[in-house]
Amino acid sequence: MSNFREFSLRNKYWYYCVSWCERNARVDSEFAIETRDLTKVYISRWKRREVRAIDGVSLKVRHGTIFGLLGPNGAGKTTFVKALLSAVRPTNGSALIFGRDASLPEARRPIGYLPENHRFPTYFTGAGMLDFYAALSGVDATRRKKLIPENLELVGLGHWADMRIGKYSKGMLQRLGLAQALIHAPTILILDEPTDGVDPVGRRQIRDILTGFEERGVTIFVNSHLLAEVETLCREVAILHLGKVALSGKMQDLIAGKGYRLTVVHPPEALAEELRGRATSVAVRDGMMDFQFPSRELANGAMDLLRAQRCEIEALAPTTSTLEEVFVRTVQK
Amino acid sequence: MMVTVALINDTFREALARKIFWVLFGLSTLLILFFLFLLRIDIVAGATATVSLFGRQTNANPDVERLVRGVYGGIATFLYTWGMFLAVFASAGLVPSVLEPGRIELLLSKPLSRTHILLGRFAGNVLVVALNTTYLVLGVWTILGVKTGIWSPAFLISIATTTFVFAVLLSVVVLIGVWLESAAAATMITVALMIISPILAQTSLMMRLLSSEWSRNLWRVLYYSFPKVYELGKMTLDAIQSRTFAGFMPIWTSALFGIAALGAALTIFAKRDF
Repeated sequence: MSNFREFSLRNKYWYYCVSWCERNARVDSEFAIETRDLTKVYISRWKRREVRAIDGVSLKVRHGTIFGLLGPNGAGKTTFVKALLSAVRPTNGSALIFGRDASLPEARRPIGYLPENHRFPTYFTGAGMLDFYAALSGVDATRRKKLIPENLELVGLGHWADMRIGKYSKGMLQRLGLAQALIHAPTILILDEPTDGVDPVGRRQIRDILTGFEERGVTIFVNSHLLAEVETLCREVAILHLGKVALSGKMQDLIAGKGYRLTVVHPPEALAEELRGRATSVAVRDGMMDFQFPSRELANGAMDLLRAQRCEIEALAPTTSTLEEVFVRTVQK
Repeated sequence: MMVTVALINDTFREALARKIFWVLFGLSTLLILFFLFLLRIDIVAGATATVSLFGRQTNANPDVERLVRGVYGGIATFLYTWGMFLAVFASAGLVPSVLEPGRIELLLSKPLSRTHILLGRFAGNVLVVALNTTYLVLGVWTILGVKTGIWSPAFLISIATTTFVFAVLLSVVVLIGVWLESAAAATMITVALMIISPILAQTSLMMRLLSSEWSRNLWRVLYYSFPKVYELGKMTLDAIQSRTFAGFMPIWTSALFGIAALGAALTIFAKRDF
């Protein structure tokens, strides 16, 4: 066996085959989406300049949750999403969908995707477009006939089925895009700015639809810059900044409300566990840990523990967080 | 299979929406109508007694079969020159349109390989032209057959050769479309290949004119590498008019060129970021 392995490693093609098999053997995963050290470097023409769009991003999205990806313009959110869909080839690292390499077509079967600046072909009618994309997702003709009116009805476009989509408003196109993402009953929804251009009533409707799908166990990954919406909708969130994960954690932990945030540099694991038990929330970012304590006493107690073990304390600050405050604080650091 | 059909169907829909299909169909119909109404051939005892064109009659007594073959040859030549130009111009935009931001990401998110996406588009495009060519050739063949009683199956070869040459040229359109994402550049380069073909075909003349061995070798390399649009056209004409066949070389060298161009297009498409 070891000889075989040695031979495999010596031979490039064998090595590729072995690693391909290893990557695809794990079809069952705890996580719907998982990235490991995902990096994408764009090199300008003539190789004069390098831009690291995403830089060593490792994220895990559990089954059945609504996960929000936030970040300022140019943070790398869209590149990250495109890497999940294999529209962008990573320079380094890997993106896995239910444990399978995202570059494999079959790994993308459970994904329903709504792009940000979509450009649906205007020669389609609403029903025609759903029929086309459902066929590409492997839905047979009999099921398509049943699912198309149902999905159009779900997004409030039942009466527009036979109208050319060139006549649709931006909000209607967005709803149609959502219906397209849902048509093959996906188990992961990746939505890039899902409510862009939709009126407030429509936004609420889309939120309700997404919450309904969450209840059915569908994992929803939302890329948005609308913080209030992400705060309402998402259970977990990550903030990308300059291509790196600047902050990630559960929404309820990040917007913990009044209290004190203690930022610590690399605490030992045992102590980190101890503090985790006392804190209301914990967020990990860039070699540091943020512990949220509901009272001054608890924060002081934690500081005493840290001092006793000569741990470095970066900051202690009172908090009254909304997601917007967390976001601004994170990207301005 | 369902996915391939959907991709081909999408190409047809786009060709219809861009009026490409209808323009090709309309031009083919005009040509068919021309033969239906304007060309009258009255046959007496196996030979033409009168030939009437645009209402003017001639009492010449040419051999009717030669006349019909001449007409077939003329149509095949028309298909080869203007028909091919029209088809290339019409098809050039169908590949870059798929690569538009906001459209390609959605296609790539589906559980199908990039090769499948591009080949589906390619096949759809070839079918659009093949359908129009078949309609035109079969239409003219039927009308002339009914009018003259002479059914020359050799003319039907032009369906295969026209479609084949178009597929070879389309592979260049696809390659340039994927590489540069420009319909204009794809058209220009493909038309240049069509124009250069009759020049490269003058190999025996050039072997005499070129003085150095390396320039003769260069000419040979270019001649054998590039698609033989001219020779394939001439082969079709010879097959229709004199039922002769010059050999398979122009077919397989052109096929190899098409496969290489399509292979390069697929490789570039597979590696690109969108």
